[in-house]
Amino acid sequence: MDFKKLLVNLLSSFLLIFNRFVGLILNPYKTMRKISLEKDFYQPAIIIGIIFLYFKFVYYLRDKVYPATLIYLLFIVNFLLTVLFFYFLSGIFSKNKKEITFRSFFFTFSYSLLPTLIWFLTTSLLYIFITPPRSFSILGKGFSIFFTAYSLSILIWKLILTYLAIRFSSKQNFFRIIYMMILYLIWFVPYSILLYHFRLFRVPFI
Amino acid sequence: MSRMNVRMKQKLNEVFFVEPNDLGAGFLTNSFRKITAYLKVVPFIFIIPISLFVSFFLYFVLGRFLIKLVTVLQYGF
Repeated sequence: MDFKKLLVNLLSSFLLIFNRFVGLILNPYKTMRKISLEKDFYQPAIIIGIIFLYFKFVYYLRDKVYPATLIYLLFIVNFLLTVLFFYFLSGIFSKNKKEITFRSFFFTFSYSLLPTLIWFLTTSLLYIFITPPRSFSILGKGFSIFFTAYSLSILIWKLILTYLAIRFSSKQNFFRIIYMMILYLIWFVPYSILLYHFRLFRVPFI
Repeated sequence: MSRMNVRMKQKLNEVFFVEPNDLGAGFLTNSFRKITAYLKVVPFIFIIPISLFVSFFLYFVLGRFLIKLVTVLQYGF
């Protein structure tokens, strides 16, 4: 009976994730606002679970320097560090500390992982079907322009979702959010370089 | 009727639970609202042409370096 309930909950949460995913493409502002009020913890659990499957899949394509589970645990640490950083910073900036909840940050930042997952997944698949290095032929140049445009589109979408995640979770204004993002980059860029140096992440999964 | 009132109240609470952005100067706030209005609904209509334009621009500025950069990015997963 309990298993049946769990299965129904998981399926309904999965459908909700799909619905929100489409919403984040078509109507990011309204959808992220709804996500920030969400209370169903199955949803971030499913997203983080899908990311685990991705790391398991991509392990066979990477140099296999580290086990997939270790890379995944490191991703969890990075993700929690990011969420906690913005949560505590919002606590410092906010006048009404009661309206700031960790849950809201956790949900919105989980959903803002979707563009990252899509970029990493498509890059991995392209690695299989159109293996680098790129040549200087017309096809190579064409693909390079397409891939740059694709990566830029995903990056802009990711920035919009991250901005909205901070906006609806912290309830701060535009300038404060930009200030918070700059403060985040001050420690996150050297941290990413460190991860690159140890060959843990080439592009940080965040 | 009362159920509709409750739903209406919930919707209003959802819409107004963050204060509108105020950038200090009137023209800045207005410009911000006009620009962000395009990004709130189907932002890809604007994102895709901008990205294509930027990537063509980068190709003409950086040339072969962009192709090398794409090779590095393809190893980036």
